[in-house]
Amino acid sequence: MIGKRLRFETEHATEFVDITDRLRTEVRQAGMGMGRLHLQSLHTTLGLAVNENEPLLLRDFEGLLNRLAPANAGYEHDDFARRFDIAVDEPINGHAHCRQLLLTGFATLLVEDGELVLGRWQSVFAVELDGPRHRELAIQLDGDFSRATGARGLERDLVELELSRQLLVDPEPVSIPMRRLVEAGGKRLRPKLVQLAAGIGPRSEPLRAAALAAAVELLHNATLIHDDYVDESTHRRGRPTVAAAEGPERAIAVGDYYFAKATRLIAEIGNRDVTSTIAEALEAICASQIDDVALRGTYPGDHDSYLQVVRGKTAALFAAACASGALLSEASPEIVEALRRYGDLVGVAFQMADDLVDFSPSSGKPVGLDIRQRVLSLPLIYAAEDRTVGPEVRRLLAGALGDAEVGRVAELVTSSDALQRVRGEAQALVDAAVHELETVELDGLRPTLISLAHSAVDRIS
Amino acid sequence: MSVQLIDRALDRLESLWEDGLSEMYRSYLEAVTSHEPASQAKLALAAALVEIGVRLQGLGGRAAAPPTLLMGDLCLARSSRLLADAASQSVQVAFAQAIEAMSAAAASGAGTPATRELLLRALKAS
Repeated sequence: MIGKRLRFETEHATEFVDITDRLRTEVRQAGMGMGRLHLQSLHTTLGLAVNENEPLLLRDFEGLLNRLAPANAGYEHDDFARRFDIAVDEPINGHAHCRQLLLTGFATLLVEDGELVLGRWQSVFAVELDGPRHRELAIQLDGDFSRATGARGLERDLVELELSRQLLVDPEPVSIPMRRLVEAGGKRLRPKLVQLAAGIGPRSEPLRAAALAAAVELLHNATLIHDDYVDESTHRRGRPTVAAAEGPERAIAVGDYYFAKATRLIAEIGNRDVTSTIAEALEAICASQIDDVALRGTYPGDHDSYLQVVRGKTAALFAAACASGALLSEASPEIVEALRRYGDLVGVAFQMADDLVDFSPSSGKPVGLDIRQRVLSLPLIYAAEDRTVGPEVRRLLAGALGDAEVGRVAELVTSSDALQRVRGEAQALVDAAVHELETVELDGLRPTLISLAHSAVDRIS
Repeated sequence: MSVQLIDRALDRLESLWEDGLSEMYRSYLEAVTSHEPASQAKLALAAALVEIGVRLQGLGGRAAAPPTLLMGDLCLARSSRLLADAASQSVQVAFAQAIEAMSAAAASGAGTPATRELLLRALKAS
């Protein structure tokens, strides 16, 4: 189900506003195949009608309304002396309310094969009865959104095109390793968040949003390249890391190049708030990387330290992706902040889900890689605190970690309730993220954002 | 820039101040006199942080050990934030291009171009 508001201005006292094309666009943009479009007037002097858009006929309708409820027929509603709590700008409009009674305030239109089901001469009108005014209609789309993948796919394609375009113009010593990493996949969650948030405010520009989304993805990949050197990781997304394949010197240079390029692309967008939002996130990422390495001395650490690191290392860019997209679309400060909080919560949940993958034999990754690399991991923290398995986990982690030790630690973690606790905590964070979305008007994007929040932890269900 | 402002800008990087960053900062101060007085200190510190950051990372030379690399990364990130606060769009873009030039040269094994020259040029971007 998608909910939206259709806003428009009327110019005359009585006016038949043909909204058919706008409704068709909404259906297409939502990617709905089969279903219903519900339409409701949010005003007592704005009606709805389905009829023929023929100018003389519209004049006939106007004449009919005039005859049935003439403007100066002495309506009791217009006798302000007998009414209480009337606004200073209360109009004399008893006739308009009565005319609205003759029409309807709501309608349901059928959708088939991605199109409104309308007869050859049928158009949908919002009927202004007391204009000129600013008007709003609530619409809900209910049905099968299988075509949505097409619409969203188009947006995703824009980001992929932008990434390819940017990598095409870079010098080969930096572009080849980065292309290898980018083309190896990745979930592209951050660009998705940018694009979704960039559709919320009044200024929706898909090309600018794609440019920002691609820059955020490049920035994310740049941080991964340095991370992999710091963590001594040999593989990422099933391919050798830049540090492993081409040495740490090249990895540092490639990471720096794309850090700089991404910040340039963001600066070129020319929105100071967006630039600041991303710069702050980048600073948080770098600071938490330092904390992360420092915490390895007290491995596996504790819950508070874990959250502090994860909020910087992972969640900061999720939050910034949401906030910067919303800022780009000139969404209200309330929406920007709600999305920032949503991104932060989803980011932490995402990291917890990622931690759990290390203990899943079906994930496609070797079990225990995080343990071997002494990467901060919430299941390990919980297992180390566990009364039964904790002493052995801590003893093993304090020593050298060969295959046998890593296997035993993974076994102990799995046998405890650590994975269950982390799963529950991640789910609670997703619920909290969804709750953040309930506080603001998101112009129909709430279901997609909810679905994306759930998909961030789907790997653990 | 006030002492408090410098303290905030140097959070986690305090040790670098006595280790060459203060001299670099002062030397860049001379190059930012054409900018708004309120943004001069931030711009000078941003340039100094880039210069010390790439040096810490070992860009164009031998790779730094991971903890030192991360300090270098934080220098670049902090610089980026200072520029977002205080620099015009053209200066932000020019700084990024300077780092792109240095890192592209380093990646190709050509050796890094003179960092200071690139940054001084970036500060003059309009």
